[in-house]
Amino acid sequence: MAKPIKFDESGDSEDLQSLFDSIAGGGAPVAIAPVETKFVSDASGDSDELQALFDSVAAESPAVMSADKVPEGGEVFNRLGRMTRELHDSLRELGYDKLLGDTARAIPDARQRLAYIAQMTEQAASRVLNATDIAKPIQDDLQQQSEALGVRWEKVFTNQLSVDEFKALAGDTHGFLRQVPAQTRATNAQLTEIMMAQDFQDLTGQVIKKVVDMAQAMEAQLLALLVEAMPQELRAEAPPGLLNGPVINAQGRSDVVSSQAQVDDLLESLGF
Amino acid sequence: MPDPSKIKFLVVDDFSTMRRIVRNLLKELGYVNADEAEDGAIALQKLKNGEFNFVVSDWNMPNMDGLQLLQAIRADPNLKHLPVLMITAEAKKENIIAAAQSGAHGYIVKPFTAATLNEKLIKIFEKLESAST
Repeated sequence: MAKPIKFDESGDSEDLQSLFDSIAGGGAPVAIAPVETKFVSDASGDSDELQALFDSVAAESPAVMSADKVPEGGEVFNRLGRMTRELHDSLRELGYDKLLGDTARAIPDARQRLAYIAQMTEQAASRVLNATDIAKPIQDDLQQQSEALGVRWEKVFTNQLSVDEFKALAGDTHGFLRQVPAQTRATNAQLTEIMMAQDFQDLTGQVIKKVVDMAQAMEAQLLALLVEAMPQELRAEAPPGLLNGPVINAQGRSDVVSSQAQVDDLLESLGF
Repeated sequence: MPDPSKIKFLVVDDFSTMRRIVRNLLKELGYVNADEAEDGAIALQKLKNGEFNFVVSDWNMPNMDGLQLLQAIRADPNLKHLPVLMITAEAKKENIIAAAQSGAHGYIVKPFTAATLNEKLIKIFEKLESAST
């Protein structure tokens, strides 16, 4: 006898097995009644689905439930039982029941990894923006002071300053030069901080690779399963709409633009 | 050219990093008066309650996206005069056309440079000035 389906741990699968076997063996109508009650009281999702399936087929063949038409009811149950049994068998034989279980378990892991990536990149962005917030005023200050001194020195070379003014300028310039190294050192420290903040790339790169591998495995499994279950051609329609996010690869596409210049050209051609 | 510090901007983007970058760029260009919103719905509320002069908005946002915000602004008699500059990663021609037809004054595609932002802002202000004279 075949093993019970692995991903359904409840006793339900064994019940199903024995139900299939009894129906496949031409089970008497009497056997059906007790089994029906078993389904109703069994709370596992599997039997709910079967119940719904039975109900929908029963709705199509209204004569099924009547006592004098018992053979037809038996036949419907027969067919359904066989179909479901075949599906369960296929899943097991192809090994997909375990794979699907693994895949379903991998999804929370993927979610966690992606959340980690989002967190790392946000932290890096924050560090960099903070560093620029610190460095910019230092640079602005250096610029202002050197420009002001420069103006005064121009006057020296056009003989517009008195001796006293010149002495004052020399003193100010000396003072300025003494504080420049400290300013530049501070700015360099922020530049180093910006460089170090890029370390997230190594960590996120590794995690991204894992998630990509996981997604590829999932895709392969699901596609293979789909092909088994639905041999007819699958429609692959790209979702239309205006919320597509950034274009990753514009090659070969004529419906997207890939530079600001193209945006401007398009708008101009429309008269905007 | 109006006094930059007198122009009140509203920066709308669901990513706080992007909001920070745009505000910093605006500050560097002299536009020191700016507030932010993280989606179109919050933005619309702020616009209705505050005296804003310029909207810079992303497209892809929860609750109310950039296009819907733009359309809501144009539909409100108190807000329809507001200049709106879209800064977005959406690069389909359909997007650009839809934004222009809905009344956007400019469209910047991400990633963008400070120079591009400056250029578009100046262009919009020039157009507004020539329209009012």
